Amino acid sequence: MNKIGIIIRREYLTRVKKKSFLVMTFLGPILIASLWIIPFFLAMNSETQSKVLVVDETLVETNGVKSSLYTEKFKNDKELTFEYGYDITEAQNKLENGKYDAVLEIVKTNDMPPIKGFLFYSENEPSLSAQEAIRSQLTNILKDHVLVYDYGMTEKDLEWFNNPKIGFYSKDIRSGKDSYKEIKTILGTMSGFLIYMFIFLFGGQVMKSVSEEKTNRIVEVLVSSIKPIQLLMGKIVSIALVGLTQFILWVVLSGILIAGLQSFYPQTFTEPQKENITINERVISVDKIDNISSSAGEVNQMVQGLFSIDYALVISMFLFYFMAGYFLYASLFGAVGALMDVDTDAQQFTLPITIPLIIAMLCFPIILNDPSGTVAFWLSIIPLTAPMVMMIRIPFGVPVWEIALSMSLMIIFIAFCMWLAAKIYRTGILMYGKNITYKEIWKWFKYKN
Amino acid sequence: MILFSAKDISKTYANHKALDKVSIEVEQGTVFGLLGPNGAGKTTLIRIINQITAPDEGEIFFMGEKLKAEHVHSIGYLPEERGLYKKMKVGEQAIYLAELKGIKKADAKKRLEFWFAKFDILSWWDRKVEELSKGMQQKVQFITTILHEPKLLIFDEPFSGFDPINANLLKQEILDLKSKGATIIFSTHNMESVEEICDSIALINKSKKILDGKMIDIKQRFKKNQFEVVIPNQKNIKHLLTEGVELISSFDTPHTQVSTLKIEQGKNAELLSNILLNTDLISYKEILPSMNEIFIETVSNE
Repeated sequence: MNKIGIIIRREYLTRVKKKSFLVMTFLGPILIASLWIIPFFLAMNSETQSKVLVVDETLVETNGVKSSLYTEKFKNDKELTFEYGYDITEAQNKLENGKYDAVLEIVKTNDMPPIKGFLFYSENEPSLSAQEAIRSQLTNILKDHVLVYDYGMTEKDLEWFNNPKIGFYSKDIRSGKDSYKEIKTILGTMSGFLIYMFIFLFGGQVMKSVSEEKTNRIVEVLVSSIKPIQLLMGKIVSIALVGLTQFILWVVLSGILIAGLQSFYPQTFTEPQKENITINERVISVDKIDNISSSAGEVNQMVQGLFSIDYALVISMFLFYFMAGYFLYASLFGAVGALMDVDTDAQQFTLPITIPLIIAMLCFPIILNDPSGTVAFWLSIIPLTAPMVMMIRIPFGVPVWEIALSMSLMIIFIAFCMWLAAKIYRTGILMYGKNITYKEIWKWFKYKN
Repeated sequence: MILFSAKDISKTYANHKALDKVSIEVEQGTVFGLLGPNGAGKTTLIRIINQITAPDEGEIFFMGEKLKAEHVHSIGYLPEERGLYKKMKVGEQAIYLAELKGIKKADAKKRLEFWFAKFDILSWWDRKVEELSKGMQQKVQFITTILHEPKLLIFDEPFSGFDPINANLLKQEILDLKSKGATIIFSTHNMESVEEICDSIALINKSKKILDGKMIDIKQRFKKNQFEVVIPNQKNIKHLLTEGVELISSFDTPHTQVSTLKIEQGKNAELLSNILLNTDLISYKEILPSMNEIFIETVSNE
């Protein structure tokens, strides 16, 4: 067998047989599945309901007809239920007795509108979302009141007014197609993040493995049988294969797990969809916007968005940048691994590599906000950040010349980094018990190997 | 027959010259000692022979050809800094290292079983390296070095880190391999082992070769015409000295007197006949300098 083949086989098998690989392989899908499932369960089973007693001073009774601004107007939801009382001291007693979680006092004034303010009593600080919900209900009820009594709106008008459901659809000016920003954002972020994760996890493994061989002192025996560059390449390729294996297993196992849970708890997954449907029914006709039928809602638009993407381009670009990014960083990580020894401070060498990765990661929002802006352009041209950043941009459409420029720079830079890494690697692995400085590394480039 | 030769090898690291026009020749079936103080350039030369680094200048020939990549299969190397994968099983690891030296898996297994049986370590086959003691690991390491039956074996400071028992075992194995026709280069600053094992040596100091040749020739070259003479202690050697003989030291044992004499070339016969005329001669032998003395003398004269 070819020697690189022998290296790849050993590196691959030892990694795949490791306990940590097995654990990660099975834990990964559980994590992924729980990311899917937990929100549904939380939505289903949130049992921490707070009871709020509303004491409304604006309540007046004229001729046996009660009228007030707030009484009976609060909407109950999953978190909050509202009851109504009349006497504030009584209410406070009830709060102290634990019958209610909070008391909301509406203080009257004789001005218009007749509200002086709101007082909120509770034993425990209410959750932020509860506070926010109460605040928005207070505003909405007041607003509705003004709209109905001062501007003469009907209930039906009010409903539309409060929930106009005006679809917002952006269109690509050149192709005339809808631009489906949401689905592109998701797709771009996911692929960019995936590349980032892969580089970090498996590039880091290359570094660890190289430094292990060095501190083990087995490396000198190995390089007397094969060329250092073959050893490094074999390692990089085998770790990529390990990563792919794990990735494929994750996808398959997560699929099985989610499918299994879906069949066990079908209601968990169907519930949210029903909600979506009811929302859609309320949608006001949007037939002025062509291409979208009146029944089409945002979900429909998502589906159409899914079909609007040029998958051949996205997938081929993903494969390119995925591999390119990995090989670029893995060779650099490999070089750094060769600089480490039993007690060297690796930080000074890992930092320059991780910084571009982290910068790319931090710039995700900026790029998503303006996928063809200056920041996005430059970060997708610079090879160290291109794999992640270009992948975010791809679904939004990138001019061909930019892709071509980025890819060619990528290839040139990979060749350069591999050359650099090979130089550092072959010298570094045989430098035992020495604290290596940047100045010294610079000198290595003059060596003949 | 010359198995291996290096001609005018030079190697410079940044601003430090590791080797300066060093040439060596190693005859087939001999043990060649590469001697020198720490930092003299021994390891650099060994790495060049193993094609781990390339020389800046000079040429290397192996089995009559210019040294090339395939030759690594005919060379076995035990580096000074050595180790094994800690988490890997002994047998698996030995097979892996053998495969990298171009041996087929099945063949490697057969050979390993032979050597493991010979060293009585078959029971370690499925144990992880980290479970073995240092000495045990060294046995494994030694086997992996010689398993592919290399024509040339290179041991860099082989005795450092070996306990006396394993060091002795290693010495025996080296001599055994030699008797089977292997050629051995071995680098050390442990002169005692050189005396027992080496046929020829090269002494490297400050990146230059300052001495080389067959052990016997070197010893002859460095001898100081000193002899050890033992006679019964009824007589004193002082009274028996002849012309051209100088007494350096002498001490008595219960029955004998042991003396060290410096005898000018060609004056031995006269002295011996004078001794034999007057008393018994228990022993008479030339004192050859030890490699240690030669080493220190040559290096400090530089």
